[in-house]
Amino acid sequence: MKYYLKLGIILLVTCAIATGILAYLNGLTAPLIKEVKDKEAEEARLEVTVNGENDPNTYSFQQKFLDSDIKGDSVFYYIAFNQDNDKVGYVLTATKTGYSSNVKTVVGLDKNFKIKKIKVIDQAETPGLGAKCVSPDFAPRFDNLGYEDLKVDKDGGSIESITGATITTRTITNSIKESLEKLMKLEAN
Amino acid sequence: MSAMKEFTKGFIKENPVFILVLGMCPTLAVTSSVKNALGMGLSATFVLLCSNIIVSLIKGIVPEKIRIPMFIVVIATFVTIIDMVMAAYMAPLHKSLGLFIPLIVVNCIILGRAEAFASKNNVFMSMMDGLGMGLGFTFALVILGTIRELIGSGKIYDFPILPQAYQDNPMLVAVLAPGAFITLGFILAIINLIKKEGK
Amino acid sequence: MEFLSQIMIMAVGAIFINNFVLAKFLGICPYLGVSKKLDSALGMGMAVTFVMTMASAFTWLIQSYLLIPFKIEYLQTIAFILTIASLVQFVEMVIQKNAPALYKSLGVFLPLITTNCAVLGVAILNLTADNGLPYNFGFSILNGFFSGVGFTVVLVLMAGIREKLEYAELPASMKGMPIALIIAGSMALAFLGFAGLKF
Repeated sequence: MKYYLKLGIILLVTCAIATGILAYLNGLTAPLIKEVKDKEAEEARLEVTVNGENDPNTYSFQQKFLDSDIKGDSVFYYIAFNQDNDKVGYVLTATKTGYSSNVKTVVGLDKNFKIKKIKVIDQAETPGLGAKCVSPDFAPRFDNLGYEDLKVDKDGGSIESITGATITTRTITNSIKESLEKLMKLEAN
Repeated sequence: MSAMKEFTKGFIKENPVFILVLGMCPTLAVTSSVKNALGMGLSATFVLLCSNIIVSLIKGIVPEKIRIPMFIVVIATFVTIIDMVMAAYMAPLHKSLGLFIPLIVVNCIILGRAEAFASKNNVFMSMMDGLGMGLGFTFALVILGTIRELIGSGKIYDFPILPQAYQDNPMLVAVLAPGAFITLGFILAIINLIKKEGK
Repeated sequence: MEFLSQIMIMAVGAIFINNFVLAKFLGICPYLGVSKKLDSALGMGMAVTFVMTMASAFTWLIQSYLLIPFKIEYLQTIAFILTIASLVQFVEMVIQKNAPALYKSLGVFLPLITTNCAVLGVAILNLTADNGLPYNFGFSILNGFFSGVGFTVVLVLMAGIREKLEYAELPASMKGMPIALIIAGSMALAFLGFAGLKF
C-alpha cells in the first residue's frame, strides 16, 4: 500500500512540475496567439471591405452579435464605417462543415447586403480539389451577388463550382446564404 | 557504440520510417507537401531530443512500475510546448499540421526510443540517439514529401518544378490518401531490393 | 426519427467517408501490424473500438468540466493521453481475467493501443465540431464508437486479403510491408469513392 502511494506521489509531482512549466509558457504564448488571430481577422475584414483607392486606416468596425455557433460560442458580424463615420457596409464570418473540415469565409457586403468580396480564411479541404477555394479565381465568383443569387450552378444558380469540388463550393455558398439571412433580419430596421 | 554511430544510425541503418517502420501515421498524413513534412519532422525531432535528455536524466529515480506513464508525461509536456510555440510563431504551419501536432505524443518512435535507449544510456548518448533518429525521421518524411508533392502538384516546397501544363492537371492521387500508401510501399520495396543486393 | 437518421449519417460518415485508417491516417501502426490473421484482427479491432468509445466519453467530460472551466485547455494533450493510458491499463486487466486466449494472441499490441493515434485522434476530433452533427456528449461517444467500427472493418478486410496473400507469388522485395502498403493504397482508392456521399 505504501509502495503504491509512493508511486502515485512521484507521478503526481511529475504532473505538477509539467503543469507548472506549461502554465508559465501558456502565459507567455497565449497573448501572442490571440494577437496573431486578431490581426488575421482584422486584415481579412479590411480586405473584403476596402475599396482599392481608399486608405485602410480610415475604416472602423463596430462589432455586433449575430448568433451562437454549435459549440455555444458567440459569432459576431461587423458594421463598417468610413472616415466620415458613414455606414459603408457589413462584414460577416460564415462557417460550415465542408467535405473534410470546417470552412470559414469572411464576407464583405455593401449597405444593400450585396457581396463586395469574399475571402476563405480557414479550411482543410482536399488539396487540389476543395482546397482550390483559396485560389485567386474562386472568390470573384461571388462578387456583386445578392441573397437570391447565392446558388451553385448545379443547383440552378450562377456560381460556378470548382471542378471536382462541388461540395466545398456548395458549403461556402450555403454558409454565406445562411449567415446573410440572419444578418438581414437583424439589420432590417 | 561511439557517439557518431549513435547519431548516424538513425539515418540509414535504423531509419525509424524505412527500416523500423515506426511513426507511420504522421509519415503518411503530412507528406503531401515538403513544407509540412519538414515542419513535422523538425517538431518531432525537437520533442524526441528533449524527451530523450530528460528521460535519461531521471532514469535513476523513476520507479520501474510507472516508467511508461512518467515518460508519457515528459513527452506530452514537450509536445504541448512545441504546440504553443508553433501556434504563436508559425501559425500557418500549425494550421496545416493540425491534429498531428498533438499526435506527436503517440508517435511510437519517441516513446520507443525513451524506453529502448534513453532509459538505459547516459545523457550525451541519448542526445545523439534522439537527434539521429529525429533527423532520420525528418529525412524520410522529406523524401516521401518531395515525391508526393512533385507528382501530385508539380511543385516542391511550393516552387513550381514541372511545366505549367502538368501543374494544371497533376496526378492528384499522389497527394491524396492512396498516393501516400502506395508511394511508401514502393519506397520500402526498393529498400528491400537494395538490402538484398547488398547481401 | 430525426435522431435515428442523424445516427445513420454519422455511422456512414465515420465508417466509410471519413474512415480513420484510409482517409484520416489514424491507427496505421496496428493496421499494418495486426492485420495478418483474421481473428486477431477482429479482436484488436473490438478492443480498440471499446477504448475509443470509452476515451471519447472520459475526454469529453474532462474537457467540459475540467479544462474549460479552469481555463487550462493547454493541458489537453497531457490530460487526454494519461486518461487513455489508464483506460488501456484497465482494459488489459479486464481482458486478461475474462478472455485469456485473446490476451495471449494480442500480446504486446494490447498495451500499444495507448499509442494508437486513432484513440487520441478521436478524442481530439470529437471536440472540433466539424461533422455537421449536434455537438454534445452523446454524439461524441457515438462518433468514437463508429470510428472504431470503421477501423475494425478496414482491419478485418485487410486481414482477409493478407491471409489469401500467403498463397500468392510475390517478388521477394514486395513481401511483407510493401505489399501491405500497396493493398492499403488500393483500399484507400476504393474508399475515396465514398467522398461526397451525402443524404
